[in-house]
Amino acid sequence: MMKSETSKNNEQQLKNASNAALASLLNLTILPVISFIALLFIYKKTQPGNIDHYHAVLGIKINITAALALFLVSTLMIVLGGFHSPWTWVYVITYFTIVHTIFIVFAIWALVRSWSGDKLRSKHN
Amino acid sequence: MKYQSQSIAKLYFIAAIGLFVGQILFGVTLGLQYVIGDFLFPEIPFNVARMVHTNLLIVWLLFGFMGSAYYLVPEESERELYAPWLAKLMFWIFLIAGALTILGYLMVPYATLAEITMNDLLPTMGREFLEQPTITKIGIVIVALAFLFNIGMTILTGRKTVISLVLLTGLIGLAVFFLFSFYNPDNVVMDKYFWWFVVHLWVEGVWELIMAAMLAYVLIKVTGVDREVIEKWLYIIIAMALISGLIGTGHHFFWIGAPDYWQWLGSIFSAIEPIPFFMMTLFAFNVVNKRRRDHPNKAAVLWALGTAVMAFLGAGVWGFLHTLAPVNFYTHGTQITAAHGHMAFYGAYVMVILTMISYSMPLMRGKQAGNARAQVIEMWSFWLMTVAMVFITLFLTGAGILQVYLQRYSDTPLGFMATQDKLEIFYWAREGAGVIFLIGLFLYIYSFFAKGEDVVMPEAAVAS
Amino acid sequence: MRETFTKGMARNIYYGGGVFFFLVLIGLTVDTVRGLPKTDNSQNLTEEVAAGKRLWEINNCIGCHTLLGEGAYFAPELGNVYTRFGESTDAIKGFIMSRPKDGIPGRRSMPQFNFTPDELEEIAQFLKYVDGIKVARDWPPNKEG
Repeated sequence: MMKSETSKNNEQQLKNASNAALASLLNLTILPVISFIALLFIYKKTQPGNIDHYHAVLGIKINITAALALFLVSTLMIVLGGFHSPWTWVYVITYFTIVHTIFIVFAIWALVRSWSGDKLRSKHN
Repeated sequence: MKYQSQSIAKLYFIAAIGLFVGQILFGVTLGLQYVIGDFLFPEIPFNVARMVHTNLLIVWLLFGFMGSAYYLVPEESERELYAPWLAKLMFWIFLIAGALTILGYLMVPYATLAEITMNDLLPTMGREFLEQPTITKIGIVIVALAFLFNIGMTILTGRKTVISLVLLTGLIGLAVFFLFSFYNPDNVVMDKYFWWFVVHLWVEGVWELIMAAMLAYVLIKVTGVDREVIEKWLYIIIAMALISGLIGTGHHFFWIGAPDYWQWLGSIFSAIEPIPFFMMTLFAFNVVNKRRRDHPNKAAVLWALGTAVMAFLGAGVWGFLHTLAPVNFYTHGTQITAAHGHMAFYGAYVMVILTMISYSMPLMRGKQAGNARAQVIEMWSFWLMTVAMVFITLFLTGAGILQVYLQRYSDTPLGFMATQDKLEIFYWAREGAGVIFLIGLFLYIYSFFAKGEDVVMPEAAVAS
Repeated sequence: MRETFTKGMARNIYYGGGVFFFLVLIGLTVDTVRGLPKTDNSQNLTEEVAAGKRLWEINNCIGCHTLLGEGAYFAPELGNVYTRFGESTDAIKGFIMSRPKDGIPGRRSMPQFNFTPDELEEIAQFLKYVDGIKVARDWPPNKEG
């Protein structure tokens, strides 16, 4: 009895973890904001120390960092560079594209790790 | 390597790498001509150098695809190649025809080349990427038919796997769509419209099938992940490639005199074109994460992962960047296009062939994997070339944005040449990155000769 | 990739999707080709223009220039050069003739092709014809190309 409950619990955690990682990836790509709200709901369901909690927190961290790195830095560039300077747009568009992509690739790796129930860095077995 | 005839791939790969070096040398020359306008003028004007650069790319990618097929198909089909002698004969025919064509570009003026190859009988020359004399084009068709016959017979008389069938479909598509290169009407709109049936349906259509099949093959080999899982991924990736890519052709029909509805169709479908590349990254990461073994050829695994990521970056992200009609209205035919072209070709097609070479070359030389030192050097070359290409792309993107602003967006637009002068700093930076790329390429070649201790594969991993 | 999604389903999406969208592409192509006479300026596609297109091709002009945005990005767009040069074929011809044989020190320069007067006229007429193609939104955004 105990064993089957544990495995059920594990299954649920795995599901939560992949949903959290998926929400994080979607928020970075085609479904921003809504996916982040979904991610927060998943986070609320999780317990500290579990893999789903880990991936929910990771997703939130990735997305907040991405938001800051993308929007805050880009806004700063526009404010400092001036809206009507071509050079502002040279920096902003190039920077936004490459950094955005790096976050997406990182989130893809996180999703893949959540599928196998692993943390980002734990040893593969 | 299980079948003797697989080793024919070696010939093709050596030729491919040799032509790759030529391509990059001309690339560096072109980069210099962007900043020193009269460099090598009038001996090798820009148009000639560019033609050599792009045609060498196409020819060596074709060598790479054919070599990969000759390596992969016997093993998948579990039999020797149907006609190894034909594969060898076609190699020499293709190499000689290719070399003569390139020499023709360099030795005589293009108009003279058109004259001596009797372009008038069936004019097909002088269109971007399809500059080859008509006779060379006919040669390409003959080589492609002989190749398809050879590969097709091997597959049909042996074990049929999803990978070999998808590869075959892609290769047949490659040959079929090339036939549009013989159609060259006087009507410029018609000419342009059907020109894309070669170019787009190659690189954003059937080549993606070839690429995905090759990547899936290497991933099965290096990760030991169940074939069923990999085949499912393969199907869904190429399904997305065709679903998005076929109507996605429309993103080339915005400004050539075709109907306005292409702006909607082209924008919508090409907006989903990044998805197959996105899934390729997800796929590669996933199977490497779930690997059942640690293959001793770490360099090949790195190339495979790099291919997936860089194809997503170059073809997916940088394609999406300028594919929507309202954006493309400003960016069409600027350095943005050049930026995308460079990273997409490198990330998708150059890298997938280097992945295949990296995996198969040691096996053809009687080893499981290159020695430790050779692998380290190869991985250095991976990073040098890849990072250099990222920077080439970033600098050209910067140049493109500035060009769009100054020449097209501004209320007081500058002329083309005046704008080009303002982009000089980017072109110099790009040239620097190009030289790094060349160094990476030399290092790559050196990695085949580097001596060191052999890496031995654990017994369990040899199976399959 | 859950277990409920089988390889068979993936294969069917590939074949079904591939065939369906290929047929759609053919259908749209038929429609496009039928409608082209409205925009493609074919009423002005004379023998002379066709000869000009051949000259355009065998001198590999696309190796430096863009034409309607396609080609190389080393030299100016020529799809609208007739407009840019004040709708004057003479200006186009004059420019082509004026190119120095050995180039311009340190600068990009078009080669001297030594065209005959007839050939010059053909090239100019070809560029005039391309300029007359009705492109969506009158691309390029301005006369600079």
